[in-house]
Amino acid sequence: MVDIEIEIDGNLVHGHSGESIISIADREGIDIPRFCYHKKLSVAANCRMCLVDVEGNPKPQPACSTPASAGMRVHTNNEKAKASQKAVMEFLLINHPLDCPICDQGGECELQDVAMEYGSDVSKFNEGKRIVADKGIGALIQTDMTRCIHCTRCVRFGAEVAGIVEMGATGRGEELKIEPFLSEGIQSELSGNMIDVCPVGALTSKPFRYEVRSWQMSSVESVARHDLVGSNVFTQTHKGKVKRVVARDNESVNETWISDRDRFSYEGLANDNRALTPKIKVKGEWQEASWEVALEVATSGIKNATEASFGALASKNATLEELYLLQKLTRGLGSENLDTRLDVANPSSASALETNVSLAELEAIDHALIVNSYLRLEQPMINHRIRKATLQGAKVSTVNAKAFDFNYRIANSVLSAPQNTVATLSGVLKVLLEANSQALPDYLKGVKVDQAQIDIANVLSAAENAVVVLGEQVNSNPCADQVAKLVTQIAKASNSKTLNASATGNTLAAEKVSFKPNGGLNAGQMFTANLNAFVLLDVYPTFDCVDSVAAIENLSRDDAFVVALNSFEDEAVLSFADVILPVASFYETSGTHINIDNVAQSYGASVKAAGDSKPGWKVLKVLADLLELPGFDYTDSPQVADDALSLSPNVATSEVDIIAMEVPNVATVWQYTPYASDVLTRHAQSLQQTQIGQVSEATVSEATAKILELSQGDLYKGVPVNINETVAEGCVFVHTNQARQR
Amino acid sequence: MFKKAKKLVKDFGLSEIRAGMKITAKQLVTDKITVQFPEERTPISPRFRGLHALRRYPNGEERCIACKLCEAVCPANAITIESEVSDDGTRRTTQYDIDLFKCIFCGFCEEACPVDAIVETHIFDYAFESREGSIIDKEGLLAIGDENEKAINKARLEDSKYR
Repeated sequence: MVDIEIEIDGNLVHGHSGESIISIADREGIDIPRFCYHKKLSVAANCRMCLVDVEGNPKPQPACSTPASAGMRVHTNNEKAKASQKAVMEFLLINHPLDCPICDQGGECELQDVAMEYGSDVSKFNEGKRIVADKGIGALIQTDMTRCIHCTRCVRFGAEVAGIVEMGATGRGEELKIEPFLSEGIQSELSGNMIDVCPVGALTSKPFRYEVRSWQMSSVESVARHDLVGSNVFTQTHKGKVKRVVARDNESVNETWISDRDRFSYEGLANDNRALTPKIKVKGEWQEASWEVALEVATSGIKNATEASFGALASKNATLEELYLLQKLTRGLGSENLDTRLDVANPSSASALETNVSLAELEAIDHALIVNSYLRLEQPMINHRIRKATLQGAKVSTVNAKAFDFNYRIANSVLSAPQNTVATLSGVLKVLLEANSQALPDYLKGVKVDQAQIDIANVLSAAENAVVVLGEQVNSNPCADQVAKLVTQIAKASNSKTLNASATGNTLAAEKVSFKPNGGLNAGQMFTANLNAFVLLDVYPTFDCVDSVAAIENLSRDDAFVVALNSFEDEAVLSFADVILPVASFYETSGTHINIDNVAQSYGASVKAAGDSKPGWKVLKVLADLLELPGFDYTDSPQVADDALSLSPNVATSEVDIIAMEVPNVATVWQYTPYASDVLTRHAQSLQQTQIGQVSEATVSEATAKILELSQGDLYKGVPVNINETVAEGCVFVHTNQARQR
Repeated sequence: MFKKAKKLVKDFGLSEIRAGMKITAKQLVTDKITVQFPEERTPISPRFRGLHALRRYPNGEERCIACKLCEAVCPANAITIESEVSDDGTRRTTQYDIDLFKCIFCGFCEEACPVDAIVETHIFDYAFESREGSIIDKEGLLAIGDENEKAINKARLEDSKYR
């Protein structure tokens, strides 16, 4: 990389040798029109819009594919450059329909802008225009391929970023079409980014179609809190409603991309099922009430319970402020019963696996071991960073219950049912320790090692910059703590980093404010301890709790007073709750998200909360005031966030012993589709109509099916059985959008 | 002395009245310019901007495609439009309201319309019986358009050679 100096339009600018003219011009703020060039995609140089005049060249050169060299003199707006830009624009507009008034891209269209600036007022073209029939490509993206100018950004996005080649160019010349290869439509979990990269209105957002024009909306900076990354987004609002969510550039968090879950989940906000008014249960009947009355009932109910019989449960997607205030309220009442780990089969007091790798570092790894995770769907943006590393030659191994469909090649894959995962990882650890000639702890002495484990251990120890990722499927495993400990040990023995992706959403905020029992009851124990008062913060037990039936039974007891702070109506919650306080959902409240890099990202409310609902932090503050607890003198959410962020986690943790635990012959791994992972996405209709969103199958191997006496198409816990050999023996892998059943 | 005598002659000679009656007599025999509104109407330029109307194509299809350019260009924010995907997949309005109290009859909506859907007719004599009456909705606008389509078409045809 040599620093060179070139001249663009008479300005001396600096660049690196080999850097394209357009990227230097972009950095210097010199405007060069372009369609096919995108800073995050490879250079195609097929639109020819960025032609510039380079002195010494008889013909104009494309700025995107011409490398800068020292002393180069470039003109972007002399006669020659202008003439070529005008000519290219005329060619591009030959087949582009003049339907800007009905096009959703109208007003934010690169073609429109560039045509205004560089195009001609009249066209010489009088012949018929090309028309392309549209194939539907799914519930998220609307196609109008007649508008396509063949820049191939979507094709390159699919091949280079999403990692699934779905769109392609077929035919030649006049017959050239951009279309999906398969008729099933787009399946990528990042597909929505194609809408952002499309410079024209060929690919637009389907849920947004024809509703609002781009100039009517205001863009509000926000943060998506569905996953551990906290992708930066703009929420675009109109008349107090979120109409669209688009990506906001932040190189250190989400680069330019966001996942479909972050992009389309906003649809849930407008769902009819929102909780809009406070309600109280009077003699078994629900009555709408004013906030004063509802809060009064809630307060007196909580006051009736003794300190030790009060419990608080919160959603993992709650904001830092909500989690902080709820834990302060709970601890103020003298209780230590609080938890967010509702979906964990065996929540314990062991410390969670530490994450010591940053998103940027993930791109530079040379090996990743993925344990118990379908990372592509669980954490799309983290998976995207790992995929970027694989493009640079990194290898990936997996220890999973099922062979998942990753968007990169898996070098070593071990199928391991939950009950065998401890043994599998022990084997890997044993090989690593033996290779380092370290002493073996007792629990490894009797462990047998097979070739697959040796392979994984060998690549791990050979790698200089490896990471071990633990995913959310570990939560179904009663031995989750032991798995986490083994992952730590393996990372230590192989000098690797670790990444804990087992708990998603705003879990790190919960860790930050110690939203965990410090000597009290955890999520599992609370449902067996006959507590007398509960506060549930956006908790929907049918989906969220690992044993939903037991949880609902326990909450339905006559002597259990339940205050539910809900953003959505839910039948189960209505059945057991005594007071419902409607709270704001995503984008309706100010808050803070702490991401995997430990960066606290605060955001304001994009729109007012629906109906009579109020932001959760306000409700909790007033509830604490009514309970006469000291220390809740907050007037805005940044004050709460400041207090919360000044805390350091303060929960006593216990050591984990790796011992053989009693495990069933056949274990179940339960995983929700990414679009059933939280309450907002479950209510986003378009996401539910995608292929990923509609998955509902219990995969089981033939031998295991025999043990369980299941045949193809039977229902296992309410989910249709699919028998094939992609899944580990002794394990049923349930991937579904349906609520948990016993 | 002389001045006084002159004034006396003028006053008692009814000279002003005679001058006035002279004009009256003259007007009695000239052509009248008064128009007996509403039986009679003055001629109107084809560009006259009166009450709004929404037009249809000859086959009955609404012209408006909900592009909202009129809403965007309206300097008085008098237009409110809501749109959706219609049953046949086209872009259609679900609501098209014009507040005639806000409207300043500048004609920008008409100029902005890519499909000549919103037009200003030659109707200028209308009244509201209630406050809400000032807001005309989509049905009202379409009804005005249907009723006056011939006149609207004629005015546009006449004006077309000057555009």
